[in-house]
Amino acid sequence: MSHSLHRRGTAESLSHDYILLVTAAAGINAAGSKDKLRRVLDVVWEVGPVNTGSNEVGTILSGVSIEEIKAGFTEIPRVRCVFDSADKMREVIRRLLEMDLGISVTVSGPRLEIEKICAEFGIKPHSVNLSLDIWGKKNELPEEEILEFITMCGHGMISRSLVVDCIEKVKAGRLTPEQAAVRMGSPCVCGFYNPTRAIPMLQKYVPAEKH
Amino acid sequence: MKVNQELCVGCGKCLPFCPQGAIHVENRKAFIDQDACVECGICVRQIECPRKAFYEPPEVNEWPRSVRKVFGDPTEKHQSTGVRGRGTEEVKTNDVTGRVKRGEIGFALEFGRPSIGTKVKEVEVVTIPLVEKGVVLEPCNPLTSLLDETGRVRDDVREEKILSAIVEFAVPFERFEEIAALVYDAAKHCKNTVFSWGLVVRYEEDGTIAAVPVLEKLGIHIPKNAKVNVGLGKPFCNE
Ligand code: SF4
Ligand code: SF4
Repeated sequence: MSHSLHRRGTAESLSHDYILLVTAAAGINAAGSKDKLRRVLDVVWEVGPVNTGSNEVGTILSGVSIEEIKAGFTEIPRVRCVFDSADKMREVIRRLLEMDLGISVTVSGPRLEIEKICAEFGIKPHSVNLSLDIWGKKNELPEEEILEFITMCGHGMISRSLVVDCIEKVKAGRLTPEQAAVRMGSPCVCGFYNPTRAIPMLQKYVPAEKH
Repeated sequence: MKVNQELCVGCGKCLPFCPQGAIHVENRKAFIDQDACVECGICVRQIECPRKAFYEPPEVNEWPRSVRKVFGDPTEKHQSTGVRGRGTEEVKTNDVTGRVKRGEIGFALEFGRPSIGTKVKEVEVVTIPLVEKGVVLEPCNPLTSLLDETGRVRDDVREEKILSAIVEFAVPFERFEEIAALVYDAAKHCKNTVFSWGLVVRYEEDGTIAAVPVLEKLGIHIPKNAKVNVGLGKPFCNE
């Protein structure tokens, strides 16, 4: 499925939101790839992802360690990490090219910037999954500023009521934006939620006297 | 899911976490509306309940309710539909699987996403017209196994409430405009939920995306975010 797709927000906000997906393919190159993927996680971890995790064990945001994530790899291993800048993603691609492991690499984020990074390394991207927005009974959707938070978890784990509750607590001075960003992301199990991007999105709710 | 009434103290700390608003507190006890619950498991995993009062009763894993968990809980390993998760690896491994080849275009219409949830039957607004047009739905997607040969959702699961399900298929590129127009039209009949629309396509040799001018012609807005398969997988599939 495409749970890193369909993220919403301003161009500025989305410029701090790049997701790396390194995925072994069942029946093709998954056999014996666990160690390769463990090396990938070690190497990209040095670049500084703001979140990572797996459906099997949970996320660093919820206190899981990189070692636990690596130990939990299944027979079809996968690495998922979020980075908060194009420069970090560029560095990740440089390192993955150097490793040359033959495992599929996909990047989710602003398309033109990703294509630019590929061109800089002389890579011809293979295929693309375009997000074409939301259709149907759109009047049921929460407001855009709530959607920008909840679409950071494509599995639908972050409820609108949790986002509203976190915003209310920031407004009341009961949570800092940093604390609210962590609490809001706690239901995300795979590590796609981007807490670093959420913090400035929450900053505007801080009561005037705290600024 | 259910709440152990002996443990619950009615504090309400669990309420914001449920994506379907299925939990309510009455007379200082939390209850779950079983029709609204999609068995996503968030209430069990969240750490704010001071009494760890949520639990999964055995009926969650019994057919047809087990469908809810398959389409709602990303930590789910039970394979009641025969396929794990809500969809295939689509673009993520396309450079080695060749699932969507040059000259084809893949569609992924995720019903219920974002945030709303859906009954399984709602997908029929698009699955029935697609099957009528001879489109073959992706056999490795778990939703496909819940449909009959006309694209109708089977009776035993049609009323099940799920977090989301993906209608997934590929068509030859020359049919793209026709099928995109069909989806565009079906969206007008999608009265009870929403769907998020994704398109998977190969880059052309010159780095362009052939779908873009067609979408522009149909007046379909293309947001700036996308998921790009960089093409580092081996053995590389150049079909
Ligand atoms: S399983 Fe999910 S939908 Fe059901 S009550 Fe728990 S949080 Fe709500
Ligand atoms: S958080 Fe736990 S104890 Fe409090 S109302 Fe919910 S189920 Fe009951």
